[in-house]
Amino acid sequence: MAADDYLEVSGLCKEYGGCRALRDLSFRLGRGDFLTLFGPNGAGKSTLLRIIATLTAPDSGRVRVDGADLEDGSEEFRKRLGFISHHALLYDQMSALENLVFSASLYGVADPWARAEELLAQVDLQLHRHRLAGAFSRGMRQRLSIARALVNDPDLLLLDEPFTGLDRQAALLLGELLLVLKERRRTIIMVTHDLDRGLAMASRVGILAGGRLAFLEPRHRIDAAAFAGLYLATINGETS
Amino acid sequence: MRPAWLVIRKDLRAELRRPQAMIAMLFFGFLLLVILDVAVPAGTEIAPETGAGILWVAITFSSVLGLGRSFDREKENHCLEGLLLSPLSPEGLFGAKMAVNCIFMGLAELAILPLFFILYGDAFLRSLPALALVLLLANSGFAATGTLFAAITAGADRNEALLPMLFFPLVMPLIAMAVRATGMIFAGAPLPEYSSWLQVMAAFTLIFTGLGFLVSRHIFRD
Repeated sequence: MAADDYLEVSGLCKEYGGCRALRDLSFRLGRGDFLTLFGPNGAGKSTLLRIIATLTAPDSGRVRVDGADLEDGSEEFRKRLGFISHHALLYDQMSALENLVFSASLYGVADPWARAEELLAQVDLQLHRHRLAGAFSRGMRQRLSIARALVNDPDLLLLDEPFTGLDRQAALLLGELLLVLKERRRTIIMVTHDLDRGLAMASRVGILAGGRLAFLEPRHRIDAAAFAGLYLATINGETS
Repeated sequence: MRPAWLVIRKDLRAELRRPQAMIAMLFFGFLLLVILDVAVPAGTEIAPETGAGILWVAITFSSVLGLGRSFDREKENHCLEGLLLSPLSPEGLFGAKMAVNCIFMGLAELAILPLFFILYGDAFLRSLPALALVLLLANSGFAATGTLFAAITAGADRNEALLPMLFFPLVMPLIAMAVRATGMIFAGAPLPEYSSWLQVMAAFTLIFTGLGFLVSRHIFRD
């Protein structure tokens, strides 16, 4: 692991019932890198994020974050991890404020109430703090879910198709928050099908196909206009 | 320890706000006691062993309703994933859910016992201190075994059917020991006569609590 590497993924393999989701996947990211991963459905993108998030154990290979091995799903590592997935991860019978205070308390945030209020203001839900999450509209739930994922001010943020299904306001908000996190040198891995958004934010771009990392380049070496063609050629090459 | 306590507090608050599990447990327990009381001819004195059997039928079936619901709240919006992404360890999650189940069962028993004594004779009431010990051991064993299988079946589509199928055969020895010990207590036997049952119940509880903590990391992660 080089001195400036923050995340090292090496030789990851994962199989589900005979179907190989990841095949000997390896890459490294430095602190502050923003990796956007593209790939067709079933390429292994979500599996990779779940392994890094310690939700899924790999069959072989390892993940190291900041020099520490994640073999056993370190609780200490998860204090610094944020994950935005397809699911809201919110308790419907708790208010917006209670949801955020509970999450902040789980992460050991020093003042969970203050942090919850701060995030509610950031996602423009401070006027709805006492409403039950189950009574929120879809867009409001999405914004609350984003706030929940950022409650611990994560060093490493994983995003699994975060813009899918977001309303316009929530998508703009998420875009702005990601840019702020990028400026603050948070390490981010985003899986998406949205080529424009993915390229606009990334410092590195990867294409995952058939469980392999078929392409990984710094963003500045990529011609955005030609990327759609490159993407199709890469995934067709991998699957043919 | 602190994250586990937060989960316990969250579940207790949620149950206070919307007491779904408690209402289901109490209603089922009361119903069983009343049905069995109707089945006994009026004026018949209940034998201690029969009384013990009736009590444990009510406790066992009402408990399994609560156990089945212990992961329900975590299923909505995939909140279980949210807990697993947090610094809470899988062992902490198992311990928290086991504690919550134990508390719910204890609360349900606090309501079921008075009705039992009213319907089946207050002569059993003098056995209360010794009975409390049996209840404590049985609750812990039920909660350990039930939480383990509730966690295993939490991801299954029809876990409400699957849980009793897995849970009852395994917990049967614990129920049998609790019935025997309770019968002896109701009959006025001294502690040394039923202490061996209590020791085996404690061993059962320890084994399944240990097993739950040992395998929780594998249960909660893919």
